[in-house]
Amino acid sequence: MQAHEIVTTVLLALGCVISLTGSYGLLRMPDFYTRLHTAGKTDSLAQVMIFVGLVFVTPDLLTQLKLVMVAMILMIAAPTATHAITKAAHLHHLRPWTKGDPGGEP
Amino acid sequence: MTAIVLIDTLLLLLVTVTAVAIIEVRNLYASAMLTSVYSLLMALVWVNMHSMDVAFTEAAVGGGISTILLIGTLVHTAREEKPRKRRLDWKALLLTGLCGGALIYGTFDMPRFGDPKAPIHHFRVPEMMAQTVGFVTSRAGKQAPPEGFDPSAYRSFNGAVASVPADPTDTAWRETSILAQHGIMLPKVLGHASHPAAEHTEAGHHQHPPDDFNGHVPNSVTSLLAAYRGYDTMFETTVIFTAGVSLILLLRRPRREGYLQRSAPLADQAVLRVVTKMAIPFILLFGLYVITHGELGPGGGFQGGVVVACAFILFALIFGRPALYRVLPPPVCDLLTGLGVLMYSGTGAACLLLGGQFLDYSMLNTLSPGDGEALGMTLVEYGVGITVSMVMLTIFNQLAEEQSK
Repeated sequence: MQAHEIVTTVLLALGCVISLTGSYGLLRMPDFYTRLHTAGKTDSLAQVMIFVGLVFVTPDLLTQLKLVMVAMILMIAAPTATHAITKAAHLHHLRPWTKGDPGGEP
Repeated sequence: MTAIVLIDTLLLLLVTVTAVAIIEVRNLYASAMLTSVYSLLMALVWVNMHSMDVAFTEAAVGGGISTILLIGTLVHTAREEKPRKRRLDWKALLLTGLCGGALIYGTFDMPRFGDPKAPIHHFRVPEMMAQTVGFVTSRAGKQAPPEGFDPSAYRSFNGAVASVPADPTDTAWRETSILAQHGIMLPKVLGHASHPAAEHTEAGHHQHPPDDFNGHVPNSVTSLLAAYRGYDTMFETTVIFTAGVSLILLLRRPRREGYLQRSAPLADQAVLRVVTKMAIPFILLFGLYVITHGELGPGGGFQGGVVVACAFILFALIFGRPALYRVLPPPVCDLLTGLGVLMYSGTGAACLLLGGQFLDYSMLNTLSPGDGEALGMTLVEYGVGITVSMVMLTIFNQLAEEQSK
């Protein structure tokens, strides 16, 4: 296995693990805001890691540049989408979960 | 089981689950979002089948704009589905089961996916390749197949690969076409002696790789849609135009006081404003790229038009419709809707006036018919793109103008 393949494997594996933790958090967390908190952050990072990982096994420069650009767009767009969803929920007076509310303890 | 089959099975399983969820979910907003998920999953299935154009359309239209329009409609209707009695209708279940069974039985007769022996490759493709796009000689107008091309040999070719080496790492055999291995001539593009580009080539020698269509329209989907099925695509555009016009007739009312509601509540959100301002130029550029590049790669007027419409809708969502109407007043929008169809049919009529047949693009440049083809298809794609984007924007505007309850 060559060096660039090792880098790709590590990045892809990290991306998958982070994505999995996000999915687990989505199921585990008690309310809307905390769920977005886990899903939004992990998804942004995992997607970027997977795209950057793919750059190292792509042969031609143009495709590499495209992958980097997609990763950069995701880095801006994904947190913005999370922000917009959270803000919309906040504007509709969705109350955050506090300790003692039902649904907290598994 | 190969990786592709595994991915396909997984994707189709997810598609089925999503389809059941769309029916079962009571909240209509969730249902609308699930249709978007369904379309994106289908787009992945199409990608797996290497049909990028269909995947692109599915993602842009199904995953993107139809979700926006569905949610726009739901604003005016109910949020929840009406409760109804749930009971099993045995007759309906039986009928559905029979239909599904008949369809599955029908698939047993279909050729395997990607089978070169499939009838489509032997009865339609030769005729298609004999179209103007394939065989461009020095003469404009409908072309005869060049010397040496034998459509009957092409048609009777059974698609068997002559010699696949046992060593799987030896991929050199893929470089030459299966047809070439069997001695069946591929369409060759001949340069015109008086064309400026022909100075660098021998007379009669093809200037580009044989499947490159004179450097233009190598995307077979576009050449199929815009040249071989040019009428079809023109009437598809007309259908969208008609939908837009009927929507205006049905929903547009005289503008009363206050038809423009106050600016959207999201307008004071700094993050959204900044990101939207940054993103919109790129979305527009991408839409124009997809339309212009449609003849060279996946994409085209329909997908590009939807992408352009999405940029305008995003603008309206963040900055409010008054701002959108300052950028693009509704009368201009209506005019552009018609202009797109006019551009398409006008290109056809121009070919007619230049002495060819309707939508015979090679007439646009008699010196180098390949360039004429490319020019005609670009014009046509722009026509489609303008109409599609403006109709989508009109639908959005009409839905938003309705007074929400």
